[in-house]
Amino acid sequence: MSEIYDIGYRHYDGPRLGRGYSTRALTVHSLRGVFGLGRTARSKIIPFALGVIMLLPAVVSIAMMALMSRRGMSYSGFAVYMQTVVAIFLAAQAPTVVAPDLRFRVLPLYLSRPVTIAEYVTAKVIAMTAALFLLLAVPLTVIYVGELVIDMDGPPQTKEYLGALVMALVLALLLSSFGLAIASLTPRRGLGVASVIALYLLTSASVPVIFGTLYSTGNESGAAWAWLLNPFWLVDAVQVWLFGTTPNVPDGGYPPGPVPAILVVVLIGIGLAALAARYRKAAAR
Amino acid sequence: MHILATEGLTKRFPTVTALDQLTVTVGSGVTGLVGANGAGKSTLIKILLGLLPPTGGGARVLDLDVTTQGAEIRRFVGYMPEHDCLPPDVSATELVVHLAQMSGLPRTAARERAADVLRHVGLAEERYRAIGGYSTGMKQRVKLAQALVHDPKLIFLDEPTNGLDPRGRDEMLALIRRIGTDFGISVLVTSHLLGELERICDHVIVIDGGRLLRSSAIAGFTQATQTVTVEVEEGTQPLAERLSELGHGAVQHGRLLLVKVTGPETFDAIRDAAVDLDLCLIRLEQGRHRIEDVFREEVDAGV
Repeated sequence: MSEIYDIGYRHYDGPRLGRGYSTRALTVHSLRGVFGLGRTARSKIIPFALGVIMLLPAVVSIAMMALMSRRGMSYSGFAVYMQTVVAIFLAAQAPTVVAPDLRFRVLPLYLSRPVTIAEYVTAKVIAMTAALFLLLAVPLTVIYVGELVIDMDGPPQTKEYLGALVMALVLALLLSSFGLAIASLTPRRGLGVASVIALYLLTSASVPVIFGTLYSTGNESGAAWAWLLNPFWLVDAVQVWLFGTTPNVPDGGYPPGPVPAILVVVLIGIGLAALAARYRKAAAR
Repeated sequence: MHILATEGLTKRFPTVTALDQLTVTVGSGVTGLVGANGAGKSTLIKILLGLLPPTGGGARVLDLDVTTQGAEIRRFVGYMPEHDCLPPDVSATELVVHLAQMSGLPRTAARERAADVLRHVGLAEERYRAIGGYSTGMKQRVKLAQALVHDPKLIFLDEPTNGLDPRGRDEMLALIRRIGTDFGISVLVTSHLLGELERICDHVIVIDGGRLLRSSAIAGFTQATQTVTVEVEEGTQPLAERLSELGHGAVQHGRLLLVKVTGPETFDAIRDAAVDLDLCLIRLEQGRHRIEDVFREEVDAGV
């Protein structure tokens, strides 16, 4: 042991990089954490299992195109069809991004470095957004590559594919800002998981009830607004307005015009503001 | 040159004044900051890191202003918090590498530095295991390693011996001494035990209720407060009497005897007295003064 202890202390005179670098490093660190990379095998199970489930419809779509020359799932409808899986991923993994640093009081170790609280929160939001985007974009891209390889009749649906990618990014940002805000308010991980899933169930379960009530009373244009309570349909409504895709709802459609888009922007703003307020309070402790 | 200096530093919270017109300077080397719980030690460190704005007065750390140049200060300062601050599910290596990157070290440099400092604080193979399974002593070492990993010019150690057993305490203190001397990094270390800081500090600052009580080089403290604790199996009373006869001030303190040290001859006198009285000497220990001793002396001096 003695020879190990006896080596002298060496000073560091290499480069000290700026805050852009440390924010990037924190983003990558958090993104790896979402997928359990560099963690125990157990923490990889949920994210990767859900990732595989997201790929199954892509495989089925490709099989249908190859064997029956028919299109399976549309690009624009992918996020809406797979919403439960995406919501579970958000509920399960958002707490791993923010909860440990709050619960185990690691935050002071960041704040005693040049990292600011704004950079910390930005890195966390980017990491979660990137994770959700990957979850949606990878299967979409697999289907698109399949379509190109199989060479279906007619031109490839490049526009719809790219539109779906843009909307996947918007959806990922919306879900991340809200999911992280809720998870940061409940530092115990289990509680965070439960809160996020509860909010999702509330928004999706209330939609058919409100829609049904308004529809049966003949208020069809009012019923269309019910869809906007759920983040997945809300973002789909924006997609319909921006790219003219087919609405992924059983009857009628969404309220026309830019209102859903404004709602999305406002909601993202509220989520980020809640997150910022939470961390300002945590930093002052 | 001063490593840090405060001038009339005041911090008021809604219900309490944590720092009250504090003016001190700290030079290089190891400086102890002593005060009872709630004396304002942690508040002072947070202000010096630029994380908490002072209500009044000002402070400079490494000649940088705490209110306007906080980020620059934090680039060259390390901080070991008092409380638990380690996530249980990552390894010490991974955490320290990551935090080195947060201080701006490129990834390869971060890895080398992390390996270096973890070795210096005495963590061997266990540094690859998850921190959740560590003992308190090992966790304190990881906390110290993360404060050192970016090779700071100055480190703030907030109660580094908290929760350690006597042996762990001694090892931690020896390590802190080495940081101040061999590593050439200035140290500001807080404790509520003056005795343990006496052994490793060049300079001690005592604060109470946010006010400066005393700031002086360590020699001043040791001369004024040096006592030796003597424990014998039986016959504490006769020993006290004998020592008093010989002109050594001895105060009985339960089963223990506190003897004022006037020089090396005091130790000889204790030894000879124990032999003469045929007593079984159990313990002869340099006194560990508590903060109360300083208060008592200040009061005595005032009278």
